[in-house]
Amino acid sequence: MGPSGSEYRRVPPIAVSSSSTLVNHTGSWKYIRPLFQDRVAPCNAGCPVGIDIEGYMNLLREGRVAEARDLLLRENPMPGVTGRVCHHPCEVSCNRESFDRAVAVHAVERMLGDLAMPEVPLPAPPARNQRVAIVGSGPAGLACAYHLAGLGYRVTVFEAATQPGGMLRLAIPEYRLPEAVLDREIERIRARGVEIICCVNVGDDLPWWSVRANYDAVFLAPGAHRDRALEVEGEQSRGVEPGLKFLEDVKRGNRPNLGRQVIVVGGGNTAIDCARTAVRMGADCLVLYRRTRAEMPAIPDEVEEAEREGVKFEFLAAPVAFESKRGRLKAVECVRMRLGPPDASGRRRPIPVDSDHFTLPADTVLTAVGEVTDLAAVPQDLERQDSALRVGAWGETSGVRVFAGGDVTDETRSVAHALGAGKRAAIGIDRYLRQAAGEPVEPDGLARLRYGGSGNVSITRWRGDDPIQRASPTNDVVRFEDLNPSHFQRAARRDDRRLHSETARSGFTEVNLGLTRDGALEEARRCFNCAVCNGCELCLIFCPDVAIARGTDGNRFDIALDYCKGCGVCAAECPRGGITMTRAGL
Amino acid sequence: MSQLMIADRVPREELMTSGHVACPGCAAPIAMRMVLKALGPKTIVVMPASCWSIIAGPWPQSSLKVPLYHAAFETGAATASGVRAALDMQGDTETTVLVWAGDGGTFDIGLQALSGAAERNENILYCCYDNEAYMNTGIQRSSATPWGAATSTTPAVQPQSTHKKDILAILAAHRIPYAATATVAHPVDLLEKVTKARAIRGTRFLHILAPCPPGWKFEDDETIELARMAVRAGVFPLVEVEHGEHWRFTAEGAREPVGPYLRKQGRFRHLGEEQVRQIQAEVDRRWNAMRRRVESSESDEDGSLAEGG
Amino acid sequence: MVGNHAVSWGASLSRAEVISAYPITPQTQVVEQLSEMCADGRLNARFIKVESEHSAMAACIGASAAGARAFTATSSQGLALMHELLHWASLGRLPIVMADINRALAPGWNIWTDQNDTLAQRDTGWIQLYCETNQEVLDTTIQAFKLAEAVDLPVMLVLDAFYLSHTAEPVDIPDPEMVDVYLPRREPRYRLDVNEPRAFGALVRPDSYMEMRWHQQSAMDRARAEFEHIDREWENLFCRRYGAVESYRTEGADLLLVTSGTITSTARFVIDRRRARGEAVGLVKMKMFRPFPADTLRTLLSGVERVAVLDRNLSPGRSGIFAEEIRAALYDVDPEERPALYGYVVGLGGRDVTPGTIDDIIDRTRGAAAPTREDVWVGLNL
Repeated sequence: MGPSGSEYRRVPPIAVSSSSTLVNHTGSWKYIRPLFQDRVAPCNAGCPVGIDIEGYMNLLREGRVAEARDLLLRENPMPGVTGRVCHHPCEVSCNRESFDRAVAVHAVERMLGDLAMPEVPLPAPPARNQRVAIVGSGPAGLACAYHLAGLGYRVTVFEAATQPGGMLRLAIPEYRLPEAVLDREIERIRARGVEIICCVNVGDDLPWWSVRANYDAVFLAPGAHRDRALEVEGEQSRGVEPGLKFLEDVKRGNRPNLGRQVIVVGGGNTAIDCARTAVRMGADCLVLYRRTRAEMPAIPDEVEEAEREGVKFEFLAAPVAFESKRGRLKAVECVRMRLGPPDASGRRRPIPVDSDHFTLPADTVLTAVGEVTDLAAVPQDLERQDSALRVGAWGETSGVRVFAGGDVTDETRSVAHALGAGKRAAIGIDRYLRQAAGEPVEPDGLARLRYGGSGNVSITRWRGDDPIQRASPTNDVVRFEDLNPSHFQRAARRDDRRLHSETARSGFTEVNLGLTRDGALEEARRCFNCAVCNGCELCLIFCPDVAIARGTDGNRFDIALDYCKGCGVCAAECPRGGITMTRAGL
Repeated sequence: MSQLMIADRVPREELMTSGHVACPGCAAPIAMRMVLKALGPKTIVVMPASCWSIIAGPWPQSSLKVPLYHAAFETGAATASGVRAALDMQGDTETTVLVWAGDGGTFDIGLQALSGAAERNENILYCCYDNEAYMNTGIQRSSATPWGAATSTTPAVQPQSTHKKDILAILAAHRIPYAATATVAHPVDLLEKVTKARAIRGTRFLHILAPCPPGWKFEDDETIELARMAVRAGVFPLVEVEHGEHWRFTAEGAREPVGPYLRKQGRFRHLGEEQVRQIQAEVDRRWNAMRRRVESSESDEDGSLAEGG
Repeated sequence: MVGNHAVSWGASLSRAEVISAYPITPQTQVVEQLSEMCADGRLNARFIKVESEHSAMAACIGASAAGARAFTATSSQGLALMHELLHWASLGRLPIVMADINRALAPGWNIWTDQNDTLAQRDTGWIQLYCETNQEVLDTTIQAFKLAEAVDLPVMLVLDAFYLSHTAEPVDIPDPEMVDVYLPRREPRYRLDVNEPRAFGALVRPDSYMEMRWHQQSAMDRARAEFEHIDREWENLFCRRYGAVESYRTEGADLLLVTSGTITSTARFVIDRRRARGEAVGLVKMKMFRPFPADTLRTLLSGVERVAVLDRNLSPGRSGIFAEEIRAALYDVDPEERPALYGYVVGLGGRDVTPGTIDDIIDRTRGAAAPTREDVWVGLNL
């Protein structure tokens, strides 16, 4: 029986508990607190398009494939294209490269890009009345059109060629970028309400004054379509052809007679495209490059594929003369080069070794040492800088209401950079038109819009409608040293599926087949999800104070600051650098 | 899977509350929390004197949502034997009786009672969270303190001069059905071991390394890292042993040198290179001994398989 | 039935659920017989054969905390080893019952009876009941559980080594069903219960510790009256009663002996013989030592001329312990009524206390002008 309850008074007969330790607010011990703080993944910062790669990788990890695609399409109108032909600098900056190998971002992007179009496109704001003309339907022009349409503008794209796409259409070989893929991407852009008018040469068919008068803004993206001259004796000989022209010719369905031995001069993607196309036309092909393989600007994968298909390489060599006999090219005289000190591009400058000349037989030489802008095709009143149009950070030219981007400016010549420039100009135009309409505009918001402050801009940041909830985001980039790699396991990078080289060289069927959907989803799970919380819960499980709980009110996690002692274990163990210890708010 | 997505592996239920008074960054509550998650609410904890006697909260508090009996220092296993017997008499064979003891209560003062319970194969789960000294009373050495460590009773000028007792081998020698090591840095391994142990009848022993920021003298946020380094350096191999015979590593991986692990801790700050080499030699010796146990278990199994065939 | 078996039977009839013990002479027969009872199913209990008395008590503590009726038995060194946990059991308010076979402490080794082992545990918060016969041993074992569970305190029942433990006497075994009526299942107020999780025994600060000790003391105080009640209830069912303190032929006596344990039986014989000769002597038997039955003793001893207390124990540097405690109890008796108290230390380490010893004590008491300052050691042969 024992004493009755009333006899216990304040203190019971034994030390039996009647409350939890929640009465102790041990949070008062701390002098520093954790803060869930999303930062910027290096892939985002490294992407010239300005894609939220980390964002879609995280959605894919959760199996939210359609949302991942939509997030990607916010920033990049052509993921099917870039997934195939971009040189993917995102993978160079990928933190996983310091661990085992970078995530195959391109393959994941390609898979998403090849998915069916979203049923509900990116929600557009109320339509705006202003009209924008875009000259050129390459990646820069189309990106600008796409983003402007997404912002509610009425956009018309004028294209001189018979079909839109610019270089993507004209020059990139079918085996790298099937036209059907490009068509689908352009269809998606049209679906946003973008009007594309082909066979119009602005400045010729349509005078500049008319365009500038009838549109509230103009974006110039005519590209660079002229091959740079070699400036070598005999360059005008029959059999010495501009590579770009050759590629365009083949894409139009022509099959120029190359003879047996083809020499391609150059080390960029156009050179490799020429070589592989020549191989497909039955020629033996040698690429002549004045530096070494390490300095080649071409995408390494493309170089390797070219080799597999039988393309030979002669490095540290440059043509000095073309020899013809009876009006036909017979040989190329070359000089041996050596590498000197670095030049302005950071690559070592090739220096001829005058004593070392040699001759290579050739039936055709294709020159691919770069393309130059045809500045005659743009209004003459716009200020130039060297061989390009001078533009500001937003793509603005010296002309009122005239913006420009892509290869016509001194932008790096890549599809991704063109897409990025188009987006930047779209924001520039939106900003300009809003300002003109008397709407308040942030005076210098570019750095805020750029991923990591120096990457490309995010249209989502500009629009301020990020579908991803971010915790106290900052714009600094997470480095490998900020991660806790203990929580990652090594996993092999998935290689793209490819046609066998024998099959590949016999036709123009697409060679790189990317990853299967499942393969791409698996590859996406290799992503560290740098810089953002992916809900792994290690912070929660390692918290000695049970002070981190699954979140409410849309937060992934709630920190019970009444109990958190500020030990910092959560921040130290966060695999992805998503928790900052701070004195703020204490 | 290239990432540890622990969220899917850890039971949601929280059987421990905030507001306990462990030092910041203490591994002991992390260990308790994980073990309780794996055991679930049908658990009774017997707790001999240790840091946890304080962490559990002063009367009238409790930081656990399961029954808890504070027991005399040397009686963990014996008190638990009594609780087990009472539950059996009540027909409750489902509830796990968990002894939660520190290294002092296990390696030293509680070893007799533990040996007795293990010999009787009492149906209890005995967890020793090992912070390698008497931390609650102010960092005095125990027989779990590693050689060379400075404590308040083995000052740096004359540090611990004996090697850590091989408690797992002692328990294995009792041929109990299950004994294992674990750390707070390897939650999935720990959870799997507790889950496995929970399903076994008889005495189960879990030796959990629980780094102590003030006792080992490292930063509060390095607790998990220290446990991880201990495993990687081979100082604390993750193993399990069934019936005292079948030894198995539960974490593979290349071993790293012991130096960086020691250098992260103030308790080893006084050690010179020669002493670090001595420790490395001892770690190697123990590691090799462990490897031989594992290998001989493997060959035994092969042998018995062959005989069976 | 020997005394040790009376203990076993008592524990068995009490339906002890968890027994944990470690062998020590002269207690071994208790655990041997209980082992047999558990093994052959006569007793449905878990017997934990621990590696020490310390663990035996720890296991009883665990079992009792989990709600079981727990029992153990020990002796001498074993009891001394348990010391820490005796406090634990009492402050934990756990109704454990333990039989202690009084045996002298070493060194030199001595397996024979004296009370120093149990009296050394006087302040651990255990109720102590000393027995005179094997029947009393059996009955007290059962009563002990009822008392322990009534006041949430552990009870130690005490019997003399060999004189009871190994000596066969006729013992009536009570009807088990009637014992069940007397001692129903234990219903603990608190227990380790997964459905009602609580922590037991956490740190208690100075602002509350004293209150818990007060509760312990208050339970001890209640135990006196509770025992009277329990004893009477026992009598109603089994027609036997012992009393916390028994007075034997005290009417009109000018000299009373105070004894405990088996010395009481010898003393009864001497008293009977002296009464037959017309001598006004009587006997007070102390069964209960803790809680100390001070009021009863005051009532019984007041007005008597001389009281001789026989102590088979010693608090070195002071005196026999019973004598000392009785002296203190009589301090507030009116000096006119207060008896002269003579303390005698006898029978240590199992030395026989014969009728002659007791006669000697009575004669010395009668012959003394006043009590000596120190207790008198009887039978000392230096």
